[in-house]
Amino acid sequence: MNQLIINSTADSPEVNFDLKSRIFTIGGESRPENAGTFYKPIIHYISNLSFELALTNNETTNSLPLNFIFKYAYFNSTSAKYIADIFKNISELIEKGNVVNIDWYYDKRDEDMLDAGTEFSELFNLKIQLLEY
Amino acid sequence: MENILNAAEIFDYLGKTNILMAFCGRFDHTMNTSLLLNSKLELDQVGEAFGVNKKVYNVMVESVENVTRYAAHGNKNDIKSMLLLCKTENSYKIITCNAILNKDVIPLKDRLDTVIKLRKEELKANYREQILAERISENAAGLGIIDIALKTDNKIQYHFKDYSENTSLYFFQAEINI
Repeated sequence: MNQLIINSTADSPEVNFDLKSRIFTIGGESRPENAGTFYKPIIHYISNLSFELALTNNETTNSLPLNFIFKYAYFNSTSAKYIADIFKNISELIEKGNVVNIDWYYDKRDEDMLDAGTEFSELFNLKIQLLEY
Repeated sequence: MENILNAAEIFDYLGKTNILMAFCGRFDHTMNTSLLLNSKLELDQVGEAFGVNKKVYNVMVESVENVTRYAAHGNKNDIKSMLLLCKTENSYKIITCNAILNKDVIPLKDRLDTVIKLRKEELKANYREQILAERISENAAGLGIIDIALKTDNKIQYHFKDYSENTSLYFFQAEINI
């Protein structure tokens, strides 16, 4: 498990997860026809990160932060629950001693997306950087 | 000849009643994508503010997905569903209509009545509770109506109408202030 790359479509976001660079990006529009089918591999990848990092057994690189970057243009309510699962798994990574950075990008005109980032931050007690573009 | 004249009446009616979009037929994911793209184009053409556009789009997504997910289609798959996007001087209205089984009317009515009574802070608390709750379905979060209520400041209305022995028509309207 090194990379997870999913190209964006009209109704699903782009996903670019790269363990080597420690950058995990997801962005675009999210209202896939089958949200479970779309998000399960993503959640599985994140939930397995601790195990994969332990396999590399490199103290120097393992102390480097894991960078999660969210840049959603829109997500529906079904996606919201899976995004919550992603944050739940990120919380568990932190509990296991991993250093994590989380960036939540939002269009500066989009109050709802800013609110969503704030909401996830409060729900999961996570430090999320809210960055406008 | 009669059908053409009927169509002309319908066309005039749509124009006079500020209906930006109207669709009557079978909803599925592909059709929804097409309808949503069209709605984006309509709103771009009107030159509406970003925030209003986004809320209208959000409510349209949740509304058409609810129709797709929950509409009853009848024994002969012959019951259609409907979507209207209307613009008034001060607001946008998204109206859907679909058949539902009669046994589902009361649970749905109870759910809607519960949501309609909630203030904004209560809706947010409800949303948080649902998003953290155990998943009941892979493709439904139980958040759609709450999400619509939050985006519209709870300006939602509904109406049920008898249709057949086993089904009723469910009309749902959400309104977004400009």
